Amino acid sequence: MRTTIVIGAGLSGLMGALALAEAGLRPLLLAKGQGATHWTAGTIDVWGADERSPREAVQAIRASQSYHPYALIGVHAVEEAIARFRALTEASRYPYVGGLERNVPLPTAAGALRPAALMPVTMAAGDMRLGGDVLIAGFRELRDFYPPFIAANLAAQGIAARGMYLTLPPAFRRREYTTITFARMFDDPAFRSEIGRQLRAHRGNASRIGLPAVLGLRDPLGAVAHLQNESGAQVFEIPTLPPSVPGIRLFTLFQNAIEQAGGRLQIGSEVIRGEGQDRHLTTIWSEAAARQQAHRVERALLATGGIAGGGIRADHTGIVRETALDLPVRAPASRADWFAPRFLDPQGHAIYAAGVAADARLRPLGADGEIVYENVAVAGATLAGADTVRERSRSGVALATGWAAGRILAGLVS
Amino acid sequence: MTVIPEDQIEHSLEQSLDYCIKCNICTAACPVSAATDRFPGPKYVGPQAQRFRHERQPSPDESVDYCSGCRVCNEVCPTGVRIAELNARARARMAAERGIPLRNRLISRSGLIGRLGAGPQAPLANALLGFKPLRVIIERTLGIAREAPLPAFSRYTFRSWFRRRRAPQTTNGAPKRQVVYFHGCSANYYEPWIGKAVVAVLEHNGVEVLLPRQRCCGLPLLSNGDFAAARRAHEANVAFLAPYALRNIPIVGASTSCTLTLKEEAPELLGMHSDTVRAVARQTYDIFEFLRMLHERGELRTDFHPIERTLPYHPPCQLRAHRIGRPALDVLELVPGLRLVETHASCCGIAGTYGLKVEKYQISMNVGAPLFETVRRSGANLALCDSETCRWQISHGAGVAARHPIEILAEAYGLVT
Repeated sequence: MRTTIVIGAGLSGLMGALALAEAGLRPLLLAKGQGATHWTAGTIDVWGADERSPREAVQAIRASQSYHPYALIGVHAVEEAIARFRALTEASRYPYVGGLERNVPLPTAAGALRPAALMPVTMAAGDMRLGGDVLIAGFRELRDFYPPFIAANLAAQGIAARGMYLTLPPAFRRREYTTITFARMFDDPAFRSEIGRQLRAHRGNASRIGLPAVLGLRDPLGAVAHLQNESGAQVFEIPTLPPSVPGIRLFTLFQNAIEQAGGRLQIGSEVIRGEGQDRHLTTIWSEAAARQQAHRVERALLATGGIAGGGIRADHTGIVRETALDLPVRAPASRADWFAPRFLDPQGHAIYAAGVAADARLRPLGADGEIVYENVAVAGATLAGADTVRERSRSGVALATGWAAGRILAGLVS
Repeated sequence: MTVIPEDQIEHSLEQSLDYCIKCNICTAACPVSAATDRFPGPKYVGPQAQRFRHERQPSPDESVDYCSGCRVCNEVCPTGVRIAELNARARARMAAERGIPLRNRLISRSGLIGRLGAGPQAPLANALLGFKPLRVIIERTLGIAREAPLPAFSRYTFRSWFRRRRAPQTTNGAPKRQVVYFHGCSANYYEPWIGKAVVAVLEHNGVEVLLPRQRCCGLPLLSNGDFAAARRAHEANVAFLAPYALRNIPIVGASTSCTLTLKEEAPELLGMHSDTVRAVARQTYDIFEFLRMLHERGELRTDFHPIERTLPYHPPCQLRAHRIGRPALDVLELVPGLRLVETHASCCGIAGTYGLKVEKYQISMNVGAPLFETVRRSGANLALCDSETCRWQISHGAGVAARHPIEILAEAYGLVT
């Protein structure tokens, strides 16, 4: 029987499940569906709200914002999580590069620059400080990725960029295209050869070529190397709109690692309530056909996300709830306090930092500061105290608190 | 939209449209749209096309017929849109508008086909269906693909075996736990040994097996859009099973699609919500779900002989749609030496009767290709899967034997079935 339960299949739940599986606790991960990984760029953004390095920012938060998730776990825990994550991705032949020392400005599909602390090596040559001419290439068939638009916006920021459309080889034409359709095409060496030839013909002075982040699901490293050989330029991926191919790669490598370490994933099973006594969560129930499935709980990690991910729900009456275990939520007292008067207020909007308050061991706290459940740890965007979109810290907070929560529940943190 | 009496699901389906944020996670996961252009994907056909489906107006698109009903979209949707149900109802509406082809009427009546083929006449029926020129004629006239994997009829039915066997001794007259076994068409007409394994395992664990009358669960009718016939089937089954369900006697099945139909598909798609329908749904269990529950209560015997084998295990779509995890893995983990490796292929492609149809056969084989490859690469000469049509498809596509996990469990108990 699996009594170590992780709720949520985003980055924090996956990191937590990995920690618990490696500790031999055979976690069962329950999730309503697939989410955060498939929705997001696949970079690890630790801090990008200002010019400080991620390390400086995390250290400063420790001193100034005691409720912030980074403050709860400390910079050392962030480092540990990143080290484990890098080792995992390397072992999975999809290595991430970067760290806490500096952010790398990577282009978005709108041609803006977005700071990331870590990125898959397939995106590394997208570092826009590197100089030289850049070619942005894409396909008319892939919506929401317009190379001329991306290049124009990069050029407006002083980057020598040019955009062009590639021609889809007739044998690969389909009726509908998504990022996944393209990723499957790039898994095919014949397709890559043809695209590589087109890139070589059109690259001109460009030393680097940016393509949508759809360069294969099976062996993206091999795909990038192949395209580089054919085109004669460095190739990098630019994140797309969902579904995110880099995110799917991440989910898959986590799934494999967790299962190999004895864990299990159960996607499509929404946790809808929990029950406990004496500050001990004893049972949770997940939605199932005809009747709910009960799970006996020895320890649980709550990582269901925030308002965007469905872990926190706010309704029109102003009530803000945690959806899985109905834990107390720290949120503005009334709906009138949710938003600052200005849309782009530098302080952000209070509702975005709503979530479950936790102590240094990430245990959920009530309004009185009392621990609700001793055997529960909360991670990721479910935690209160961070406006991760404004801070550009969403994936960093998820990674670090997910790992920390897993280690704490496994009894590996004193 | 077809008006269905006492229908509560329609409203929730319509409401669930609003949850769709167009993230395309379902499209990314859909095994059918990956294999064919004829199906543009769950998002288009489900929540998007649904906006254009109105009462007294013709169905806006035919591609919904290419949805295989595997429910992978529901499994991965992060916001809870009920895409598979939307598609099933849209297909039923199309069937009501345009009529149901003879082929679909035929292959969706698995009980009737079973009664015709199983029994002493089975060798003849099997020889006919194995005769290639006849299959070509059937393909041309009816549209059942000549290569499609059809199971062999059994020379005896499970029910006839159950009636004739010597019932086991009751233990010391103590009141025993009882369950109803819902064998479904496949165990009765094609694979009676699976029914025997179920009975053997249950009785080994001190459970008395009851076998009331039953009909086909109606899932093939539902997936071919014949809701009227499916309703009759479910009404009959509820009448047979409710007397037990109302006494809290569990209804256990080893066919994951039959149990899902009793639990959810029939009540929800047909809008049947009476107390007896609900009671049957609540008391229905997959066999391993039931055994896992016994284990959680400390009531499952664990006197297993070791089985030193590593085997690929494919959890069928219809099992995943129960949302109960991997009960077969949970129970078989208890067998010393046995290691099962989950395949992670989303679907075998057959989807009940989908892959039998000539226009869909190749799609179903392409859908199953990653699974066949995984099974072949495992090097094992046996794959495990809880669903019968998936097993037949795996054997057909991967060229290895496929068995129900209950057969391995019976073997581990040392039970001869």
